[in-house]
Amino acid sequence: MTMTFERDVAATLQTEAAHRRHRFVKGLGWGVLVGGVLWFTANQIGMNPLALIKGADHMWDFLTRMFPPDLSYIFFLGRGLVETIQIAVWGTLLAVAFSIPMSLLAARNTTPLIMLPWFTETWQRFGLHLLVFHLTRLFLNMLRGVNELIFALIFVSAVGLGPFAGVLAIALHATGMLAKFCGEEIEGVDQGQVEALQATGASKMQVILFAVIPQVIPAFISYSIFRFDVSIRSATVLGLVGAGGLGFSLIKTMKLFQYHQTATCILAIFLLVGASDWVCSKWRVKVI
Amino acid sequence: MMVSLQDVSKTYAGAGATEALRNVSIDVREGEFLVILGPSGAGKSTLMRCINRLVEPTSGRIIVDGREVTSRRRELRAVRRQVGMVFQQFNLVKRLSVLMNVLSGRLAYHVFWRSLVYSFDEADKRIAIECLARVNMEHKAFQRADKLSGGEQQRVAIARALAQQPKVILADEPVASLDPKIARQVLTYLKQIAGELGITVLCNLHQVEYAREYAERVVGLSRGAVVFDGPSGKLTDDILQQIYYRDSEAGDDHDV
Amino acid sequence: MADPVPAAQEDVFASLVKRKKWRLHHIFFLAAGIGFLAWAADGVNLRPRELASGIPKIAHYFVLMVPPKWGFAEMIWKPAIETIYIAVWGNVIASLIGLPLGVLAARNITRVASVRFVAKTTLNLFRSISELIWAIFFVAAVGLGPFPGAVALGMNYSGILGRLYAEAMENVDPGPVEALQATGAGRIQVILFAIFPQVLPQFVTYMLYWFEVGVRSATVLGMVGAGGIGFELVTTIKLFEFRETAVILLVIFGMVTIIDYASTLIRSRIY
Repeated sequence: MTMTFERDVAATLQTEAAHRRHRFVKGLGWGVLVGGVLWFTANQIGMNPLALIKGADHMWDFLTRMFPPDLSYIFFLGRGLVETIQIAVWGTLLAVAFSIPMSLLAARNTTPLIMLPWFTETWQRFGLHLLVFHLTRLFLNMLRGVNELIFALIFVSAVGLGPFAGVLAIALHATGMLAKFCGEEIEGVDQGQVEALQATGASKMQVILFAVIPQVIPAFISYSIFRFDVSIRSATVLGLVGAGGLGFSLIKTMKLFQYHQTATCILAIFLLVGASDWVCSKWRVKVI
Repeated sequence: MMVSLQDVSKTYAGAGATEALRNVSIDVREGEFLVILGPSGAGKSTLMRCINRLVEPTSGRIIVDGREVTSRRRELRAVRRQVGMVFQQFNLVKRLSVLMNVLSGRLAYHVFWRSLVYSFDEADKRIAIECLARVNMEHKAFQRADKLSGGEQQRVAIARALAQQPKVILADEPVASLDPKIARQVLTYLKQIAGELGITVLCNLHQVEYAREYAERVVGLSRGAVVFDGPSGKLTDDILQQIYYRDSEAGDDHDV
Repeated sequence: MADPVPAAQEDVFASLVKRKKWRLHHIFFLAAGIGFLAWAADGVNLRPRELASGIPKIAHYFVLMVPPKWGFAEMIWKPAIETIYIAVWGNVIASLIGLPLGVLAARNITRVASVRFVAKTTLNLFRSISELIWAIFFVAAVGLGPFPGAVALGMNYSGILGRLYAEAMENVDPGPVEALQATGAGRIQVILFAIFPQVLPQFVTYMLYWFEVGVRSATVLGMVGAGGIGFELVTTIKLFEFRETAVILLVIFGMVTIIDYASTLIRSRIY
């Protein structure tokens, strides 16, 4: 019995050695690949840690000029703070409003053309019944791919400076994110409940209203709250392009070298984002 | 005495302070296979966890291999190294291979530099594979731990404990999640380890028939106190009554 | 045979009665909510008149974008790729900074509450300062170019990733962690062998997701001189060259779509 024991142990040790060699080669291969990509990329963007060290005294200068922060400036920021919150609120609200219809369009099981009976057979052969679905998804991807700041810039050009442009910018981007997310949620509903309702003879519209939508409402609300939190953070920088909020004060004080006030702005943003974060996480717990 | 518990007590603070252990004193000789028998909630798990200080006793002393178990980090690590533990839920790292799981039992013998790259030397690997072979699991050394059945996972867990080359192995309800045939296999391994390797094995069980089958000596625990300490032959029904039905008003979870 | 209808009616009635008690509560909140929204709308100039005049103007601008001036793509593909490089290194830096801070902030790893607090607050601070603001800071320190942009993105994302890592680590199965502690392994060994293997798939998911988001964020860094396609983008808008803007937007859109597709592929192969 001890003989087979020794033999088994030896055999396993050998296999282990083989595994280890294999793993080493694989690791080396991946390491070279990843390292190569990183090296190449670093070169392309001119990564230069030494520059950071040299610039360190610039940064230190900056930081020391910010301390101590001018706390009285908070009162001046009151308006910007309020504006930031307002922008986020309405931006998210509009996004929610737009997303409700759009997410239905963006889901394969609720997109309009599939509901019209005489279309279904012929159109399905060419996949045309998903036309609206594809177009909606494409449109939503365009809204998602473009940064809010870019939208804000274009809108400021069109309708002038001020928070109005900011609200629309946030609304569009958030619609893209929210509608796509909810579209995927709708596609993932429990089919059992849907079938049960279909079996009772309910029309397609009724099935959607009573079996599909109720299932996605919690996720929809939860994600909307998350988008609100994100919107608050985005809204803080919209001021850089003149679309309202705290960002404007931030960039203004920087350009005027009023660094003590800049520090206050950063502090205000930090507190606002922290508060929004806390509120949103409590809120989402209540919803779930 | 390999393991010596002297007047160990544990009280959990909070609403309705629970006395989990009450003046427990047990002496275990080297190489003994001891079964601690009792219903759920009797304090078996707490007792075991006091030995390797996963739980801090409120009072009393515990001595393992001549060393007192304290919570000072370096000393505690030295003690824990000598004490292997097997859990009811196996507690293997699911995404790692069987071999890597067993090797992690050797970690206490190394400084952490080598562990950073997840490498072990030949001696460690040999020990790990030998431990696996001892529980007949060496042929699955390279499989992911979560691909194994319950009984197989527990055997790997035993191998992990063995890899520590411990003086003591604590088995906390090792077979509660396994069906009888597999459970008996695992208990046989544990008993063999005590007999052949001279390792002191303490085994928590709530199943009386296993205690009768495998234990020479049984300690009966009920509501945190020792109510029996003797050979398994002397486990009469009266004594079992004491262990299991001592507190019917409290509505404890009962077995048997 | 007992008739089930009266019982059901009773339940409905009972719930209506319960609701009656809440009526006042609800109305108050509803009114306050509407009031708040109205005030907020006014604050951001969201009035029907503004919408009526504003929307057509915006639509007009979008009309001006068609047809896109395709030739322009030649000039911008280089800064466009640069945007991706910024996102790559931004995420690398973010993980290098975020991972150790996340480990320090995790409740099951760090016992000392004050250390955890400092780590958590640092992560939150990094998170709340937008990458644009970081970019302004670093451009002032090292000059223009994509390098400060990557570092800026890295600083912001370190807060985000660090927090996600900490949460993932706090939520691992504690069993294997306890088992390894019982063998006498040191803290770092426990982290390496019991915690990291459990959170690895999540880490990869996070990194892939935030790389995608990072590319989108990096598109605007050029606005403050931190590299990528942002500079060209802003210039075309300010010069009202909307057909060129359209090309840039389409290029961005194309990049993001390809990356989205690729990361879905990678994610399915990891699992």
